[in-house]
Amino acid sequence: MDEELGGISEEYYDIPPVKYEYLDHTADVQLHAWGDSLKEAFEQCGMAMFGYMTELEYVQIKDVHTIEASADDLMGLLYHFLDELLFLFSYEPFLICKKLVITEFNTQEFKIVCRCYGEEFVIGKHPQGTEVKAITYSAMQIIDDPKDNKYEVFVIIDI
Amino acid sequence: MVVRQYNEEIKYLEKINPYCWRIKKGFQPNMNVEGVFYVNSTLEKLMLEELRNCCRPGMSGGFLPGVKQIANVAALPGIVGRSVGLPDVHSGYGFAIGNMAAFDMDDPKSIVSPGGVGFDINCGVRLLRTNLHEKDVLPIKEQLAQSLFDHIPVGVGSKGIIPMNARDLEEALEMGMDWSLREGYVWAEDKEHCEEYGRMLNADPSKVSLRAKKRGLPQLGTLGAGNHYAEIQVVDEIFDKYAAGKMGIESIGQVCVMIHSGSRGFGHQVATDALVQMEKAMKRDNIETNDRQLACARIKSVEGQDYLKAMSAAANFAWVNRSSMTFLTRQAFAKQFKMAPDDLDMHVIYDVSHNIAKVEEHVVDGKLKTLLVHRKGSTRAFPPNHPLIPVDYQLTGQPVLIGGTMGTCSYVLTGTHQGMTETFGSTCHGAGRALSRAKSRRNIDYKEVLNKLETMGISIRVASPKLVMEEAPESYKNVTDVVDTCHAAGISKKTVKLRPIAVIKG
Repeated sequence: MDEELGGISEEYYDIPPVKYEYLDHTADVQLHAWGDSLKEAFEQCGMAMFGYMTELEYVQIKDVHTIEASADDLMGLLYHFLDELLFLFSYEPFLICKKLVITEFNTQEFKIVCRCYGEEFVIGKHPQGTEVKAITYSAMQIIDDPKDNKYEVFVIIDI
Repeated sequence: MVVRQYNEEIKYLEKINPYCWRIKKGFQPNMNVEGVFYVNSTLEKLMLEELRNCCRPGMSGGFLPGVKQIANVAALPGIVGRSVGLPDVHSGYGFAIGNMAAFDMDDPKSIVSPGGVGFDINCGVRLLRTNLHEKDVLPIKEQLAQSLFDHIPVGVGSKGIIPMNARDLEEALEMGMDWSLREGYVWAEDKEHCEEYGRMLNADPSKVSLRAKKRGLPQLGTLGAGNHYAEIQVVDEIFDKYAAGKMGIESIGQVCVMIHSGSRGFGHQVATDALVQMEKAMKRDNIETNDRQLACARIKSVEGQDYLKAMSAAANFAWVNRSSMTFLTRQAFAKQFKMAPDDLDMHVIYDVSHNIAKVEEHVVDGKLKTLLVHRKGSTRAFPPNHPLIPVDYQLTGQPVLIGGTMGTCSYVLTGTHQGMTETFGSTCHGAGRALSRAKSRRNIDYKEVLNKLETMGISIRVASPKLVMEEAPESYKNVTDVVDTCHAAGISKKTVKLRPIAVIKG
């Protein structure tokens, strides 16, 4: 843990509504996430990934960790953001996230800083869903359209 | 990108014989060689339908049918022979799954591509035999399944139970099964019956990122999830008595254990890391491909060499993994039957890889050449008398283990000389998916699947109920179709058919 949980106010326990779905793909699954901003679409995409690994209603918020991701372009940024989240789960602290809050979202320099709220994954407490093996660039789409207020991402994850 | 109408596209495809189609140059741009795919009439319909669906107006890019992917691979620099699609071929990242492609190591333009190996490096199958018969196991089948499930860590978030630290991992990555042998987890003869003797010598752990090692360490000795499994199987049919006898398979009803697993998060991270490096290398070396996902590097470049060394380390990880599970399986059986695994004759019949790149010698246009053979969702199938296969299989050819889908059947095949010529000694790997996972989750009820398995007398222990629907046999092509096609096409020979009586999945 890199922060005192006591420093988080009540509102951080509010879980945002679900703004993602899973789309058909032959061998793997495509995450489709959206939001009122591109930042929110990214956050929802991260949650979509965790939602496939377990059932989120069984996850509580007991820990918070901060991750950083950077890249050379926007697709790379989404890719590395999800990869960092996957790593948070695969290695210490083995964190399964209930909520993601991106605190820095820089689409000029392609950098993200994100606060990840959740707890350590425990077999028996958390249902075992499907394992995510890797993030891919396959059919990746990022729709950033302020004119039509459309912010969506499509990512295929290898399972 | 599919740009032509179906009627135009089909002109580039030609049926050579009832089991084989060729893909002519021009089907995709820049093809250096032709493509070929092996199908029977059922599988043929699926292939062509996939193509037809993609030719309809309004279909967006990103999803390419298997035939197109085989053709894109044929456009890669340095490819020789043909880009081969095996009967279980289906759409994947860049390379289709069930795609073999070989590159001339003497051609400076030749490339190596992580997409041609797959994310799950050295995903493979190991088959153990026993001297038990189905009737010995039936009375305690449930306990045995439970025992296996308790011994072998499975599913999302599972961690290995064999104690290891970072130093052990480094050694395991370098030594492969030699590490397992040193630590006492395997028998010396297990190595004999494993491709590469369970260790790729050019493995270099220093070429593997810290991130991959961190992801790998907790997972060593775990089964994984998805389509990985451990199954207690019985011999259902023997097609070739002599070859089966050489494998120690003597009678119908004989009990075997099949383990299907790979290099877990470790292999995935190695592949991911390499793809990032290679994208940069492609810009620098002016390598162009038809698809961003066919990221590759010149074999002789730093990126290419680093990948091969890291890939070998990941291959070693997978062999150590399957060896650890072999150990746990032997323990589970020993406890239940109160006999030593030795007395149960629990020997390794063979261990095959179906996601790997190997340096092999093959005859191309009458000349012996050294090739880098990429097999993604494709198994090596060397013929009789090949120097790289164990002594006891010299007369029969290499055993090829084909895992079926949950609740169906599995096969053991042997390699043939025809396969060596036509596909550089490669054959299928399994069933190949037909339905998407999301569709399966929606259309198939998991209780129905479990009930069906129960009526077939198959005990199942699964970590994730949702997985049961995704992995239902209905979601896959028919493995018997796939294997029969390989047999009919002459690229491998049916030897034994196995039927599961217990399934452990993640």
